[in-house]
Amino acid sequence: MPLLTILGLIAVVIIAYCVSIFNFLSSVRTRIQASIQEIGNQLKRQADLIPNLEESAKAYLKHEKDIFKLLADARKTIDAAVKSGDLNKYAQASDQISQILPKIQVVMESNPEIKGADILTKLMDELRDTSDKVMYSRRTLIDLTADYNIKLVTFPSNLVANLFGFKAEQGLSTPLSGKHLTVSESDLTTPKVSL
Amino acid sequence: MLNIYESLEQNQRRSALVVVLFTAFVAVAIYFIASALSIYTTGSTSFPLGFLGIGLIISGLTSWASYYYSDRIILTISQAAPANRRDHFNFYTGVENLCLASGLPMPRLYVITDTALNAFAAGRDPQHSIVCVTTGLLSQLDRTELEGVIGHELSHIGNYDTRLMSLVTVMVGIITLLADWLFRISWFRSGETNRENKSSGGIFLILGIIMAIISPLIAQLIQLAISRRREFFADASSVKLTRQPSGLISALKKISLDREPLEAANKATAHLYFSNPFHLDRKPLISSGNQQINYFANLFNTHPPVTERIKVLQQMS
Repeated sequence: MPLLTILGLIAVVIIAYCVSIFNFLSSVRTRIQASIQEIGNQLKRQADLIPNLEESAKAYLKHEKDIFKLLADARKTIDAAVKSGDLNKYAQASDQISQILPKIQVVMESNPEIKGADILTKLMDELRDTSDKVMYSRRTLIDLTADYNIKLVTFPSNLVANLFGFKAEQGLSTPLSGKHLTVSESDLTTPKVSL
Repeated sequence: MLNIYESLEQNQRRSALVVVLFTAFVAVAIYFIASALSIYTTGSTSFPLGFLGIGLIISGLTSWASYYYSDRIILTISQAAPANRRDHFNFYTGVENLCLASGLPMPRLYVITDTALNAFAAGRDPQHSIVCVTTGLLSQLDRTELEGVIGHELSHIGNYDTRLMSLVTVMVGIITLLADWLFRISWFRSGETNRENKSSGGIFLILGIIMAIISPLIAQLIQLAISRRREFFADASSVKLTRQPSGLISALKKISLDREPLEAANKATAHLYFSNPFHLDRKPLISSGNQQINYFANLFNTHPPVTERIKVLQQMS
């Protein structure tokens, strides 16, 4: 009789474990989907925001056609990415935004007249914020995917995952080889900063 | 060298260990103190649980109110005003972004007009949480540093530290109450019962009184140790959110160099803040001095020393 009770208890514990792993994997998989939608959501916000900012900063940036062109290009890429729904294109689009920031900074520093203009500080702030938002929404996707995939490969949760046929999530697809993993000659030299 | 994930795991393990040991210690202390109380009142050790029940109810009720209304109470005490996106852009959007990364709901944001550099989070659960910073902090930290501080506060919310510390406070409260009762009873009844129970309950009486003397102090020391452990944990979680230890490190350095005490803080709310508002841990940023004295002073702090926190963060980067 006690042996049966013990076996029963063990069975209950094992079943409870399986249920908790199953629920964990299922809910994280749903949250991964949601976080992908969130990236799209933030990129859409970015695409809507940039024309507004362009409009309000126009007067101050009259002579800076280059920056205008960059902003317009970035917006086009974002629009295309949102339409296609392809995660890789999302990533490229918001990289463009991040590249514009230092260029505006240079214009501001070299032009004492517009340096004091609040509207440009605001433009910088908003641009940084919007690219941060995209970055953090991607971070969520990366973290969730890691949590999920770790359960799929570690013991004993991998047994439960195999039993119910959970597949590894791809997450934010980044090429696993290429330039971003290697350090080039130019990266090793100390950058020259002239002030 | 620990990477951020190992550091988080280690923190979680140590935290759990301290809490388990604390609970065990509280159980043993309560058992002896309640037994001694029982001997005094009924003459045998048969009724210790009754006292535990009464202690639990009293301590639980008083702490429950401060736990449940923690956000409102602290806002009233510290005279904070709500923050908005226009006036506090970096603060507001920083919280927005880190909430996005951590999956927490957006807390309510407040600002205290004070030149001291500090921040705190409160609230019983993420849905009722608040994050509050001083205007000094907003003006002196840049966005990256501010994100480090915000990440730290959001981690307190996400880890349910308010709840944990409330539970710990209830346990410390029970011990203190029971010990207090034992002293009062033994004061009134010392003669008679001692003679009757020398053989049967004598050992319980002695142990109970010893426990009553030392355990409130020990329990409070462990409570402070848990508080410090949670600070390390929040630092590590903050880095996991922002992936920029440098931001939090330079924020800690700036804050530790600022020598102004926060006027809105008092002893009761000290443990809530980002860094100790009373500067107990401020002096030696580059510490040499007498380690023994530092260690002893550290035992009575709600926060670990800033140097220690920076050292741990530097290992992560």
